Amino acid sequence: MADLEFQRQALQHLDALYNFAVYLTRNPPEADDLVQETYLRAFRFSHRFQPGTHLRAWLFQILRNTFLTFYRLRERETAIAEDGVPDWDVPMFHDTSTDEGGALEAHTDLERAMRRLPEEFRTVLLLAEVEGMPLEEVARVMACPVGTVKSRIFRAKERLRGLLKDYGTK
Amino acid sequence: MSDERPDPRTDFGDEALGRRLASELPRYTAPARLRISLVEAADRPTRRPMWLGPLVAAAATALALVLFLLPVLPRIEPADPVQQVVRAVVNEHSRALMWGARQPQVIPAALPWLTQETGIDLRRAFAGDDRLSLVAAEPVYLTRQRGLAVHYRDVDGHLVSYIMLPAERSFAMNERERVAIADRWRPMLKRDSGFVTWVWKQGDVACFLVSDMVSQDDLERFKDYFVRVRVATEPTIAY
Repeated sequence: MADLEFQRQALQHLDALYNFAVYLTRNPPEADDLVQETYLRAFRFSHRFQPGTHLRAWLFQILRNTFLTFYRLRERETAIAEDGVPDWDVPMFHDTSTDEGGALEAHTDLERAMRRLPEEFRTVLLLAEVEGMPLEEVARVMACPVGTVKSRIFRAKERLRGLLKDYGTK
Repeated sequence: MSDERPDPRTDFGDEALGRRLASELPRYTAPARLRISLVEAADRPTRRPMWLGPLVAAAATALALVLFLLPVLPRIEPADPVQQVVRAVVNEHSRALMWGARQPQVIPAALPWLTQETGIDLRRAFAGDDRLSLVAAEPVYLTRQRGLAVHYRDVDGHLVSYIMLPAERSFAMNERERVAIADRWRPMLKRDSGFVTWVWKQGDVACFLVSDMVSQDDLERFKDYFVRVRVATEPTIAY
């Protein structure tokens, strides 16, 4: 695939990737950085992409791997904090003050509940239910078997259901 | 029969939950500036030159090959192995010049002991004359070989060392360095560290006569010493 054509096709998925990044990072400036890093990597390693396979899944995979890399780095840093409790408001890539539109506010119970899900559950629901990806593509993004994707969807919905009930009773 | 439909806000069935996620969850669109910066980044030429990858790969391969083959690569030997032996001989001579013999023995009384220690048998030995007097004979160990050193002093006080070592296979006489003496012998003349050395081969023994007689006049006398020693000495490998 020619470079220009590859870039054009890759940029068609920008909005979907950005939406996914916002839900992963819960912070728009960090989502910007994450998406930017994702595209830089995709352009740099475009020769590794096999034409005929799903570009969308490949891009989501890069984004998630990039996120996990920084996420784990941050986890290691917070793990040595004095209280030992991860501080989720700490920005992933750089310091961002809240008045700059840093942390994203949740508007609905559903959004709030989604934020409380572990990354694996959040990702599987975002890809399968929100983006409408086939299970095979989700499995590729998450680097796991389709059966695992199915069970994660089931468990994620269970967890989400429980959270929504809690909000309903409050 | 009631026709009640479940409230979508409280219906948490699998399908309903999936529908809610798809329809109710806010979608965030990428800001325009992000799109612009990505398009600009895509238009920018690749930062890494095309040739860098193959070059790094080739260099890494070469390095790996060198490391892999290092144990079997030939060692860098001196261009002239005789010169290396000459250097060792000169060192031994200068040591004797400075400090004397370690264990002076008088030939021929010590001959059996010297042969036993060095593996070199002196069937005949130059025991000195009116020009050269015998100072000492002693075993030496040079270039990983046992050898025999006999030291003489001439009437002017020059120390002359005659050193014998088993001739190695690499010991070869360079024709260009050979000097004809008395139309009979053609030893090599080697110069090293301010000393001169006559080098020749006698049977399986490599012989070296070293002195500091480097000037032209001294060299003529040194030729004469060579003749005296060469005629009267007959070393062989004892074992």
